[in-house]
Amino acid sequence: MLTKIEASPAETYDIELEHSLLEANAKIAKTNRELLDKHGAAAIDFMGAIGSGKTTLITRLVEKLKPRLGVAVFNGDATTTTDADAIAQQGVPVVQISTVNGCHLDANLVTKALAKIPLKKTALIFIENVGNLICPAEFPLGSKARVVVISVTEGPYMVKKHPHMFLGADLVVINKIDLAETMGVRVVDLMSDLHTLKPGLRVFPTSCKTGEGVDEVATALLAN
Amino acid sequence: MHEFSIATDVAAAVAEFAEEHPDEKVSRVHLQIGELTCVGAEQLSFCYNAIIAESPLAGSELKVEITRAHVECRHCKYEGKPHYWDSGLAALTPTLQCPKCGQAAEAIAGHECAIRSIQFSPARLQTA
Repeated sequence: MLTKIEASPAETYDIELEHSLLEANAKIAKTNRELLDKHGAAAIDFMGAIGSGKTTLITRLVEKLKPRLGVAVFNGDATTTTDADAIAQQGVPVVQISTVNGCHLDANLVTKALAKIPLKKTALIFIENVGNLICPAEFPLGSKARVVVISVTEGPYMVKKHPHMFLGADLVVINKIDLAETMGVRVVDLMSDLHTLKPGLRVFPTSCKTGEGVDEVATALLAN
Repeated sequence: MHEFSIATDVAAAVAEFAEEHPDEKVSRVHLQIGELTCVGAEQLSFCYNAIIAESPLAGSELKVEITRAHVECRHCKYEGKPHYWDSGLAALTPTLQCPKCGQAAEAIAGHECAIRSIQFSPARLQTA
């Protein structure tokens, strides 16, 4: 026989706990960082919208830095190997991380990629995150610095529209400045927005097409 | 859409706790999300409801509380609420600019994303 019992508010109780939801990823990120530190290597995470110029910037940086130190690249991409193929032409180890439907890289995927490269011969790893200006922010990978790449072709309101992404950035690159006038976007306004959000944030205007500003980014990353 | 993966983690964690209380039903889950995270409360609740629809957690309510950021300035020793962007953005947007001296401040709270409590109530059907 079934008896129906209604719970009165007095019969309910709460169990207090502190279960962090992003903890699992953060722990793996810490392990990645320890592994890199042990080998004297460092990783830099590049985030930004699709088409902002992350791949081209990384390619330019690899060109400049590979004669001086061991460089490797991880390419996060949902579906294609376009970016990984382009960078592989530089003759450095490249690992393609296919996220399939995933909108961001996570620390676990980076752990797997780290197992694919000769860490002893590597000093610097460029990690290209999936093109997305929101999701990657909550998933640290174990990198030493997080770089956000935006471009003037994304319009004048990038910083105001995606403030969270920049709060966690160590360095911001404003790319395609050769097109600023054509686009009617003022680089100084973007810089001003960035400094309203995070005073002292290091911002580098570049044109990865002409090479302008790329040396400065390379120097800042090496000094980091 | 990272809310879906977070909602999946919430449902899995709550289901694990619920197993320890077989005679009760989960009625409410209380989450705290810091305003410095990029986690959307509305999307999170939507995903949670979709995930638990045909599980023992069905009918439980996800209550999301947004916690405010707290900043600390090492230049002027300010500690407290952040400076919010004041140029007419539609969403309340915290910055890392010190409200007192205008220099860079550091966030000491606002990145939370955690389950704070689970409310249980007696199961409605019992065999007598």
